[in-house]
Amino acid sequence: MKPLKNSCIAVLVFVVSLPGYHAFCQPAAKGRLTVALSYVAVNDKLPYLVARAKTKINGRFRPVGGVTLNLYLTDDSSGHLIGEVVTNDKGEASVLIPPALRQEWDRSMKHTFLIRFRGNGDFGPADGDLTVARAKIRVDTLAGRKISATVLEWKDSGWAPVKGVDVAIAIRRLDSWLNVNQTATFTTDSTGSAQADFKRDSIPGDEKGNIVLVAKVDDNDNYGSLLQEMTVPWGSKFTGENAFAQRTLFATRNKAPVWLLITAYTIVICVWGVLGFLAVNLVKIRNSAV
Amino acid sequence: MENIQSTAEEHTIRDLLPQKFGKWGKRFTVFLVLVCLLGAYAYYRQLRYGLVVTAMRDYASWGIYISNFVFFVAISLVGSLITAVFRLLNVGWSKPLTRIAEVIAVAAIIFAALIIIVDMGRPERFYHLFLYGRVQSPIIWDVIVITTYFFISLLLLYYPLLPDLKILLRFKERSSPGLQKFYRFIGSFWKGTREQVRLSDRAISILCVTIVPVAFSIHTVTSWLFATTYRPGWDSTNFGAYFIAGAFLVGAGSVTIAMYVFRKAYHLEKYITDDHFDKMGKIVVLLALVYLYFNLNEFLTPVFKMKKSEAGYLRDLLTGDFSGVFWFAILTGMILPIIVLLFRKGRRPLPVFIVGIMVVVGAWLKRYLIVTPTLLNPFLPMRNVPESYHRYFPSWEEWAIAFGSLAGCLLVITLLVRIFPIIPIQETLTEQYEAVEK
Repeated sequence: MKPLKNSCIAVLVFVVSLPGYHAFCQPAAKGRLTVALSYVAVNDKLPYLVARAKTKINGRFRPVGGVTLNLYLTDDSSGHLIGEVVTNDKGEASVLIPPALRQEWDRSMKHTFLIRFRGNGDFGPADGDLTVARAKIRVDTLAGRKISATVLEWKDSGWAPVKGVDVAIAIRRLDSWLNVNQTATFTTDSTGSAQADFKRDSIPGDEKGNIVLVAKVDDNDNYGSLLQEMTVPWGSKFTGENAFAQRTLFATRNKAPVWLLITAYTIVICVWGVLGFLAVNLVKIRNSAV
Repeated sequence: MENIQSTAEEHTIRDLLPQKFGKWGKRFTVFLVLVCLLGAYAYYRQLRYGLVVTAMRDYASWGIYISNFVFFVAISLVGSLITAVFRLLNVGWSKPLTRIAEVIAVAAIIFAALIIIVDMGRPERFYHLFLYGRVQSPIIWDVIVITTYFFISLLLLYYPLLPDLKILLRFKERSSPGLQKFYRFIGSFWKGTREQVRLSDRAISILCVTIVPVAFSIHTVTSWLFATTYRPGWDSTNFGAYFIAGAFLVGAGSVTIAMYVFRKAYHLEKYITDDHFDKMGKIVVLLALVYLYFNLNEFLTPVFKMKKSEAGYLRDLLTGDFSGVFWFAILTGMILPIIVLLFRKGRRPLPVFIVGIMVVVGAWLKRYLIVTPTLLNPFLPMRNVPESYHRYFPSWEEWAIAFGSLAGCLLVITLLVRIFPIIPIQETLTEQYEAVEK
């Protein structure tokens, strides 16, 4: 009985000590979240905002996913709410500026966007802002295969050229950009334009030789990110070969190579033929008992 | 003389008939059922919330489920080794071990198929594999070959069982009415006529010939699931032979464990003798040496070249995060078994049993090492991904499901042993007659 009694006492002490242990626990200090905004306008379409959330772990910034952020235009009143977003695994979320804020948008030449994080169990509240002026890029071609990109800012008098802005002029290749010549970026002059010589004569385009030229202002302090595209027939004509229409190992199931079909089905039929024979053999054994 | 023979026959049969579980048998079965239930609950959670409950992410998209799958496939190969290869080579001493090997093979191949379904994000679409599978894909080859191997293993278990079913039906008092009904359903037609024996022997011979290439295919194709994918560590022409060598080793190891357990539990010392352990010990040494040789081939040449694209993977394995598991698997799975079993004393039942456990544990870890370190070291560096993507440690749901499947496999073996004689009775009797005649 004594060991049993001792065991009971030990269990009792353990159970009683649990709330005490819990009482000693202190809430962990909350982490610090850094939030930031980018403004992006592509091809004169509705501009959008990209919100980013990150935190410092072991001296390095890491993206934070799953946090809810509120974005506002001008001030953080409910009428100026652009949207509520949740960051993805890369710590990013994007939202279009809704048409409901058009009046507010048209009212001013410069806009301030606000980002608010109210805090959660892991991080304390955080906020940030971004002020951008309304601007756009124009792309044009000049004689002798030259490309002109002009940066314009909205002023009281209308669209005015902007001097001293770095513009990347490139060709869109899949999801990336290829420089049109040795220089990656060009600076606009007093007319707001930057010019680049096109030096990629043999670059493959589509079936008609079309390629897409891109002029881009990347994350500018005053204007955010602006991008304008223009299609020109400056590439060589290219007709892609669609190997999926042929019988290949990587084609769809209906396009398996004939040699593979013959080999695979022959093996399967032979082996399952043997199994079928053995099943029939069982029936024979059963019948031979009579 | 006839009377003595008849008494000896009766004695042998009573020794080898399936026995009811003892105290430990019942406890073991209950334990296995509980582990299976825990696994089933974890799988319910996985179905309910999705694969997000696992630790598998974009990079380590194959985890211990696939390790377990490769392990089960490997173990199932034992049926072809002990039954088919030994039968074809006329190795007489292996006869008492054939049923053990066949039972393990059937149980393992069932759970190999099941664990693949567990790994699926949408298991209700399992039949799509058959309806829409591409014959160009090694995954479909695996589906076909596993299904085929399952049926061949089942037939290889069933055919030699037919004469024993007649004996089981004769000794009604040793089994419940339910079991008797089951025996009658599957084997009442067996009368042991000359024609039946001829047909059965022919079928077993055909099965033994058929199962060897299919068994080789099943493990070669499983290795191709990896080798046809261009990744560090998997990009190897050695993989088919490497996998087969490992499979034979773990299969032989699992048989030695089963031999010891059944001999002890059912007092079969007269039928599974020390000589069987000695011979199986020698086979394990041979297979461990072969597997060690393939391991040397698999790692020495890449380490010598240390290509930049593979360096991260190799360092992780040899000196990095996985080095503990890697060297443990090599040591316990190959080197120690070779050392222990080279000595006659090491080939006694208990040491062989312990070595068998070492081989099986080492083999499971080896499958984990084949899958995970490669996935965490892709050719293109991981960038802009959450911290959790950089490492993989299974969640409790994955552990529960993995152990549940292992317990399930053991449960099937345990139940089959409860239902059928673990040593072929008729073959043992025939052997005894032949010995007397000589």
